[in-house]
Amino acid sequence: MNVVTRGIRNAFRNQIRTFSIVVILGLSVGLALAMLVARQAVTDKISSVKSSVGNTVSVSPAGARGFEGGGTALTTAQIAKLATLANVTSVDSTLSDRLTTSNSNLASAVDAGSLGQRFAQNNGTSFSGGEFQGQRPSGATSGTSDSETPVMRTFTPPVTVVGTTSPTKLSSSVGGGSFTLKSGKTFSATSTENVAVIGSSLATKNNLKVGSTFTAYNTSITVIGTFDAGNSFSNNQVLMPLATVQKLSDQAGAVTSATIHVNSIDNVATVTTAATSSLGSAADVTNDSAAAESSVAPLENIQTISLYSLIGAVTAGAVIILLTMIMIVRERRREIGVIKAIGASNIKVMLQFASEAVTFTILGAVIGIIFGLVAGNPITKLLVNNSTSAATTATTMGGPGGFGGRGGGRALRSLGSNFSTISASVGWDIILYGLGVAIIIAIIGSGLASFFIAKIRPAEVMRAE
Amino acid sequence: MLEVKNVKRSFKSGDVTVNAVDDVSFKVPEGQFASIIGKSGSGKSTLLSLLGALDKPSSGSIEVDGKDIAKMHDHALISYRCQKIGFVFQSYNLVPNLTALENVILPMEFAGLGKKERLERGKKLLAQVGLTEDQMDRKPGKLSGGQQQRVSIARALANKPKVILADEPTGNLDSQTGKMVFDLLHDLARSENTTIITVTHDLSIAGKTDRTFQLIDGKLTEYKK
Repeated sequence: MNVVTRGIRNAFRNQIRTFSIVVILGLSVGLALAMLVARQAVTDKISSVKSSVGNTVSVSPAGARGFEGGGTALTTAQIAKLATLANVTSVDSTLSDRLTTSNSNLASAVDAGSLGQRFAQNNGTSFSGGEFQGQRPSGATSGTSDSETPVMRTFTPPVTVVGTTSPTKLSSSVGGGSFTLKSGKTFSATSTENVAVIGSSLATKNNLKVGSTFTAYNTSITVIGTFDAGNSFSNNQVLMPLATVQKLSDQAGAVTSATIHVNSIDNVATVTTAATSSLGSAADVTNDSAAAESSVAPLENIQTISLYSLIGAVTAGAVIILLTMIMIVRERRREIGVIKAIGASNIKVMLQFASEAVTFTILGAVIGIIFGLVAGNPITKLLVNNSTSAATTATTMGGPGGFGGRGGGRALRSLGSNFSTISASVGWDIILYGLGVAIIIAIIGSGLASFFIAKIRPAEVMRAE
Repeated sequence: MLEVKNVKRSFKSGDVTVNAVDDVSFKVPEGQFASIIGKSGSGKSTLLSLLGALDKPSSGSIEVDGKDIAKMHDHALISYRCQKIGFVFQSYNLVPNLTALENVILPMEFAGLGKKERLERGKKLLAQVGLTEDQMDRKPGKLSGGQQQRVSIARALANKPKVILADEPTGNLDSQTGKMVFDLLHDLARSENTTIITVTHDLSIAGKTDRTFQLIDGKLTEYKK
């Protein structure tokens, strides 16, 4: 038998006391682990939410969202200034427009349906369908002139043309989606050619393929590629070089939306402020990360609560073992004196008591790990559910999500709904953390006891005789 | 040879300095059995603590085999207690959750003896003091007072010490068992050539030792028979 085995054996000298200490320690370690699990799950979720928002800042003319609202288009000169801001890696510019039957031979791939017909049914009027299928951003023919002679007309959803410097990134301002090139190729950011990459639905509807031509702005445009965006709205679009659309639509230098790419999500807020300052009242500068920050705020509260609870649980465990060991040392003062008198060094006696403390804490850790495994997920869900109302309030206050809008509200509602999908998992790392916590508790707990052991003089055993 | 020269040990009690051991000098040759008698509070236990290196004298020297233990560092004192000294206490002071055998091999473990050697010597010593195989595996609580004191004596002999210091070894025993324990210590002093110094109140026991010292108010005088 050596000091370690003697320490382990000593842990069971008083079985009722050992049982009580182990159960209390187990609850302490278990609570610490449950908090660790909750914190880890919430931290992962926050990272996931933040990374899903991306490092981008959206810029649109003040008062305009897609084809809704009004305002004045931005200029390429204004956008060029944004590219020079600190922490900006690149800026994508787009000019969105709608083709009409008078300047294009393209037929829309989207049916009007009941949504498209709802205004005609309600008012007995309709858009000047035969001549113009939508409205232009500026300088377009007013719809009121058409309503002077109310007639029932069939509404056809318009074909949207997007002039862009980044054809592989589909602007969220006009449908968004994930760009997948189905055939052909794309154009360069600075291209001025009369070329287009068209959505797959539009290509099918109009029997177009790579090499085919169609008419837009009364000009022959060559199809150089087709793409799939994963949604019907975007697949009804025509992507063309920005400069080409600006020239053909007589909107020289006009930009209806821009996306600023920032080097880090941490700098998004700074760039947003700088862009707002640069553009002044001419533009609305927004980013989803700010809204995401407010939507994940309840999770960050849980993160803080779980951290404090974790520290509290570990401290409680350390205090329990500390007081226990002090009590045991005081109780065995004479025995320690005898052991020292017959030749044991302070280190050996301390090691024996440390082994006893480690035995208590490892037994407590085993119970704690079982408790953590069982209670980790429910506790996490309980904490998250209690914060859901706050999260929901935050997410429903997101940006507009209507036709042609930016869809911010939808995105953030989706983030909010994701809170309910948080699930905590307990892996080997958590079990190792549990054992680590137990060892730390044992070391802290037996530290002061060791000090008392060192202070016991073997001569005291003679005085007690 | 144990040689004590002008040893003083004083304690502060408020503003008063108490000399528990006051200028004590004596010599005890190897293998001799000496006893110290004195009233309660006369300084017997303090003197025994000094001889056993459990405490350090305020002045003077205590030499065992020519080495002054009063000048030793703490680490050397631990080794000295382990190798050169054996203690026998009035209330046995055995570790309650260890068996008799485990109690005896404890000092050997501190001295660094191998496991096999410890076990063999432990059993031999316990047999020597009269414990049966069955009793060797019992914890102190399952042994009588006399048996516990025998285990205590076996533990004191574990590392073949030069000196055994016994503090009232028969104080908690009936007269018959006390006599048996005394005889055991006496025989060991002869057979192992170990110096034994015992503190006792029992004059009949003190009378049987080779030499007897009397301690009065910290001052030691040899008691002439």
